[in-house]
Amino acid sequence: MRTKTEGNSEFIQHQFLPNALRAAAVLVLILIVSMANAQEIDILLKGGHVIDPKNNINSKMDVAIVGDKIFRVAKDIPANTSKKTVDVSGLYVTPGIIDMHAHVFHGADVNSISANSPGGLQADAFSFRAGVTTVVDAGSSGWRNFPLFKSQVIDRSQTRILAFLNVVGRGMVTRYDQQDVTDMNPEMNAYMIKRLHPNILVGIKSAHYWGDFTSVDKAVESGKLANVPVIVDFGEHSPPNSIESLFMEHFRPGDIFTHTFSEHAISEATGGRESIVDVNTRKVKPFVFAAQKRGIIFDVGHGAGAFNFNQAIPALKQGFMPNTISTDLYNLSMNAAMKDMTNVMSKFLAMGMSLQDVILRSSWNPAQVIKRPELGHLSVGSEADIAVFNLKKGNFGYLDVRRTKISGTEKLEAELTLRAGRVVWDLNGISAPEWQMPAATN
Amino acid sequence: MIALLLFVCTTRVKAQDIDLLLKGGHVIDTKNSIDRKMDIAIKSGKIFSVAADIPASSAKKVVDVSGLIVAPGLINMHTHVYAGSNPGFTDGTSSQLPDAFAPRAGITTVVDAGTSGWRTFPDFKAKIIDNSMTRVLAFLSIAASGYSVDKAQENIAEMDVQKTAETISKYPDILVGVRIGRYDGTEWTPFDRASEAAKLVNKPLFVECHLPMYSLEDQLNRMRSGDIITHAFENVSERMTVVDEKGKVRPFVLAAQKRGVLFDIGHGGGGFWFNQAVPSFKQGLWPNSFGTDEHRTSMNSGMKTMLNVMSKYLNMGMSMPEVIARGSWNAAKSIKREDLGNLSEGSVADIAVLSVAKGKFGFVDSGNNKMEGDKKLEAELTVRAGRIIWDLNGLAANPYK
Repeated sequence: MRTKTEGNSEFIQHQFLPNALRAAAVLVLILIVSMANAQEIDILLKGGHVIDPKNNINSKMDVAIVGDKIFRVAKDIPANTSKKTVDVSGLYVTPGIIDMHAHVFHGADVNSISANSPGGLQADAFSFRAGVTTVVDAGSSGWRNFPLFKSQVIDRSQTRILAFLNVVGRGMVTRYDQQDVTDMNPEMNAYMIKRLHPNILVGIKSAHYWGDFTSVDKAVESGKLANVPVIVDFGEHSPPNSIESLFMEHFRPGDIFTHTFSEHAISEATGGRESIVDVNTRKVKPFVFAAQKRGIIFDVGHGAGAFNFNQAIPALKQGFMPNTISTDLYNLSMNAAMKDMTNVMSKFLAMGMSLQDVILRSSWNPAQVIKRPELGHLSVGSEADIAVFNLKKGNFGYLDVRRTKISGTEKLEAELTLRAGRVVWDLNGISAPEWQMPAATN
Repeated sequence: MIALLLFVCTTRVKAQDIDLLLKGGHVIDTKNSIDRKMDIAIKSGKIFSVAADIPASSAKKVVDVSGLIVAPGLINMHTHVYAGSNPGFTDGTSSQLPDAFAPRAGITTVVDAGTSGWRTFPDFKAKIIDNSMTRVLAFLSIAASGYSVDKAQENIAEMDVQKTAETISKYPDILVGVRIGRYDGTEWTPFDRASEAAKLVNKPLFVECHLPMYSLEDQLNRMRSGDIITHAFENVSERMTVVDEKGKVRPFVLAAQKRGVLFDIGHGGGGFWFNQAVPSFKQGLWPNSFGTDEHRTSMNSGMKTMLNVMSKYLNMGMSMPEVIARGSWNAAKSIKREDLGNLSEGSVADIAVLSVAKGKFGFVDSGNNKMEGDKKLEAELTVRAGRIIWDLNGLAANPYK
């Protein structure tokens, strides 16, 4: 957008001015320049309650943005120092939310689960309206089709898209492809991450494997070569593999267990996964605490089939909290119990997690897990990815994947989302002026 | 004794023959002139009965929808849903997946606005239409490829009246009319061919502007009664506005409306301005349907969702029954799909259960100008062919124990 100041100075530069007017013009220029200095801030979010876990801020603060960066976070920044001021009083101002588990490799291959498939969704359709500014794709692409993912989706998206590379070169095409150990190539995976796309690729995904630990071990081997974490969907092994062995022997600290609160009947035909809460005693298995202490990361990865209250509620009550909250957004989860990131975050509020903890697990924690410490906070100088939430009060219902319901009295709603300093979502037009008829009609 | 037992069993079976009972809601069904508290029973994917006080014991599942509005599943008259991998709209990344926005907005039917043409429609059908929970209907573009980014779509030689009409006749359950849009030339051949194809199949012509060399008056003059013009309230350089500089709706626009030309909102990223819509509303130029022009760049702008667009009119002063009519029955009639947009017994059970949130809300137009309001529609429950496909707060769910 061209500002008035630029317009005026251009006008002056491009006109021939008689000497008599020149002095006046200089005076005007000085005025304009001093005004520009007084208004050095582009956007000021004023009067909101800032929650920025990295910087230990949980209080009323103003946030100033210049260009695409956070310029200042302080109490009572004067409105007259900003070109635009948005009143966010009564609202929560947080770092732009990071959804650490989503499937966004959207494309037209109807025979594929997540790679170049309608099963993968368009990130922009779900992100900004939920306060999300960064989504991390969880292994929809492998090293063979990541370049297509990048050119077709990532480069055209407004949302920042990062990605875990599938341990399988072809990515997440079919369940059958996921079994192909001959297409699990740690060296190629590491090359793609370290040499070609270190700014986008944040780790390795292992998923849907039916056999022993081969897929996990190949992922960890890739992760070691590229110095990145692995994220594992451990759901379909037949017979089920020991999650204790996964946590304590196969994983490195920093590796990620997703679908943490999944609980399935385990059958011989489809395999399954051990749950973290014992299904008989409803106690968190002791080694789960030990694993988290060891540095294993527990991610929600809600999805269409991987979030059960009878896992999550006992776990939270017994003091076990997931490290990261995420959606596992894809075609089957979007309209079911999951819905969107704010709904999943609100579900944790309804289960008793504090707002501060919910924000931490949706911003600064995922940023650290994927080793992107420049994201997930509002430090001065960092990119201005910001979410402004309304915490609605009322009677709300939240579902799990078995369609059982808990009720809650609060629900997060994304009022305003900024990506790199630009307003990309404004639910109620709090940054917009009132409409009016053209002057000629009055 | 046995006879008695048999009798009891029989009545019990009968008693439970309703699959889903929506109980206690306020039903608004324009076609059947219903605007009051009613229960709705659904059986085998169809509306079984609509009546006051249907006993809960007669249904396998009862959902308490008291305090909520029960309306026919909404129809979004203007969308671009031929989503795929290419740049642009046709099989492209500018289009959106229907299921990603429809169920959560109470929409059960979307009408694609000519993103496909006679050449690309089979691919559109195979990839999107056949794989969506949302019912996808479509206007076929007179341009062979639909709405692609390349100039090929403006090739008149490819604008084939016969092939367009044949394709529509082959898929009468999906294709609802012909669309003309995006042509930069001055000759009227594309417009006339689209109109001719529509006439051949006895379906409406959908005029999506992006026709900068045609005057608005000429476009309206060439439209028949029942034809639809979208982006009705736009304020952009490529088309004359419906409201003049003095704030008056142009007489020829009102004359066209009187003649039966229908005005669709087609909100989009640039197609809805309060300085057009508000004076038009006050002077009697009301939209017939609430097409959102759903696509990648409109979805996060002032448009947001069809319910957000409908809420703008609620706050401008349109009554709830008038708003619901335009989101359902009026839209169905205009595409000659009178099987949709109503809750008549025997109709497919496409239903939207809506709440009206009260509070302080803001609504934004395509010029990023705001109108304040105090009510806003939200989709609580969406039922498609008897199946619940959206349940915002778990109205139909069992409590966790």
